[in-house]
Amino acid sequence: MEYLLTNTEWFLNWGRKSSIWYLLFASACCGIELMQAGGPRTDLDRFGAVPRATPRQADLLIVAGTITYKMAERVRLLYEQMAEPRYVIAMGSCANCGGLFQGSYSVLKGVDKIVPVDIYLPGCPPRPEALADAILKLQQKMSEEKWLRNLRA
Amino acid sequence: MTFNELSERLRTKFGPDAAPPAEGAPEALTVRSSAIQEMARFCKEDPELDLNVLSCLTGVDRKDRIELVYHLLSYRKRHELVLKAALDRAKPEIPTVETVWKTANWHERECFDLLGVNFLGHSDLRRILLPEDWAGYPLRKDYVAPTEYHGMSHARVNPLHEPEAPADRKQAELKDLSQLKSLYQPVAGEMVVNMGPQHPSTHGVLNFLLVTDGEVMHKAVPHIGYLHRGMEKMAESIPYPGYMPFTDRLDYLAAMSANQGYAMAVEKLLGCAVPPRGEYLRVLACELNRIASHLVATGSMAMDIGAFTPFLHWLREREYINDIMEEICGARLTYNYMRIGGVSHDLPDGVADKILRWMDHFAPITDEFERLISNNEIFVQRLAGVAAISAEEAIDFGLVGPNLRASTVPWDLRRNMPYSAYADFQFDIPLGQGFRGTAGDCYDRFVVRVLEMRESCRIIRQALAAMPAGDIRAKLPRRLKVPPGETYARVEAPRGEMGFYLISDGQETPYRLKVRTGSFTAMSIIEKLSHGVMIADLVAIIGSLDVVAPEVDR
Repeated sequence: MEYLLTNTEWFLNWGRKSSIWYLLFASACCGIELMQAGGPRTDLDRFGAVPRATPRQADLLIVAGTITYKMAERVRLLYEQMAEPRYVIAMGSCANCGGLFQGSYSVLKGVDKIVPVDIYLPGCPPRPEALADAILKLQQKMSEEKWLRNLRA
Repeated sequence: MTFNELSERLRTKFGPDAAPPAEGAPEALTVRSSAIQEMARFCKEDPELDLNVLSCLTGVDRKDRIELVYHLLSYRKRHELVLKAALDRAKPEIPTVETVWKTANWHERECFDLLGVNFLGHSDLRRILLPEDWAGYPLRKDYVAPTEYHGMSHARVNPLHEPEAPADRKQAELKDLSQLKSLYQPVAGEMVVNMGPQHPSTHGVLNFLLVTDGEVMHKAVPHIGYLHRGMEKMAESIPYPGYMPFTDRLDYLAAMSANQGYAMAVEKLLGCAVPPRGEYLRVLACELNRIASHLVATGSMAMDIGAFTPFLHWLREREYINDIMEEICGARLTYNYMRIGGVSHDLPDGVADKILRWMDHFAPITDEFERLISNNEIFVQRLAGVAAISAEEAIDFGLVGPNLRASTVPWDLRRNMPYSAYADFQFDIPLGQGFRGTAGDCYDRFVVRVLEMRESCRIIRQALAAMPAGDIRAKLPRRLKVPPGETYARVEAPRGEMGFYLISDGQETPYRLKVRTGSFTAMSIIEKLSHGVMIADLVAIIGSLDVVAPEVDR
């Protein structure tokens, strides 16, 4: 039984991590690096990560850039529209903690105040290579998940 | 005309309503607020003044009064004039000039939003950048930022100092999201479609409310401010040299131009000259950046229309420019290359050759792009004749840069009011001429950008060939104290005129900084353009105007 569970879990996780579809959502400067990361040189498609325009089809929300208070509730809405299991990468300093704009009156100080974050990616903006690394780290995290066992318990 | 001639003409017409500046004060006419509308109309319509452009309208909190500042410019006569009006700080009111220049509509809304100035007779005076339920006016000097907004706390615990402070990590309890207010009540027969803030072809976090009847739009109302980061307020607490990285993030696709505009404004106040090599390096960097910016503009426009391949081709070319930029200044996107008085680094060895090699490779690629997409019949059919903007309309709405030139207005600051080293170079200004449809349509705006990339290559070649030797930066003290005064510096950014209105009171930080950007005015024309077009055309309009969200919201 344990053997069967392990193998089924491995297979499910393998499928999940090899097709991380991320939401095509960019709010500021990091969005350009996100775009470049999807471009020919870094080519996130290698890892099975392709952009989707709607949250209903996305597994991963990459919060690329500053989130203001006006935008914050919309980001939460996007997150809630995604189907589970869902993941969040906070890309760049602004999404991590407000970054350069921490002193501003209208900027949310870190996206973890509104949605749970799996990977914090530092940089202002992070290079595409760093984003690729974050995707790999996320894949690692996904491959260690034990959904079936949690279900049984 | 000089300032004295301009003010003399206005004073003979209006007498005591227009008072000249006091001795030593900056060149500006102080206007009685009740006469502003009449005077604005005279400035615009008088053939000798001919101040047909409202470059910038903003307000300053002078602690005892609110000062409104109007920067006027004449495209034909190439002179400028600054009008000022002092308002009561407790109850600031002034008649609107929206009836004179349509672009004033949005500028005044911004002024109302951030400073609380009431514009009498304004057609649609409500908050533009901040949420509707925001309290207070941030650009007032006595503004205190709220401690939370809708349950999201303003504090951020430093994990290094307080590692066990979990309260900060807790997610805020947000109110029921289905209650997010609908911004427009449709009348019978209308349908409201919400586009954005998350939408692949809005180019960032912009929101459009489409009021449609089937596939035909009645209007598209832009809602902006989703990326309003309060840059102008932040400038007031950051020393002059330290603000440079913020200008990078004003317009992340054209950070060099924003760098240069800010540096020029401070240099003007300091009265310091940039060494010739510094100027040439600035031009070189700006033009490379212009190409990179237009690559994204034209590529993403093609992508919005449905052609994905050209976009990937342009991303590949952009990577080469990023590599060059990295060698010049160490960053791919947010360059922070300019310094007040010059640039940060000299050109490293071998980079000049690398740039030349890349341009040799880029010219045939541009030809290929033209074959692939510019002359693609499907692409042309989608754009030609769509949303044409006449020259008068473009000026009235304050369009600048390629959008203005596509509407056949021959105005380029690099040529008409040369700054930096641009006077030394030979280049053409591509104008819209109805290449495949009407002059000033979406296709013209697209083609003008492609042509501008070729002109930028020409400038870069000349700059590399004639690069003077010498210093790259003027000698300035580390702690800058800028003499009191005010100035308005304009640069021709890829998205058109970027204006930095800088006021110094002699301290280490600016008293007030206002940035006038091309995208902001470009957004304001969309509501007018969208009347009666198909929903799919809106994507073409947004793409052709090349708006960038942080430049709109700042």
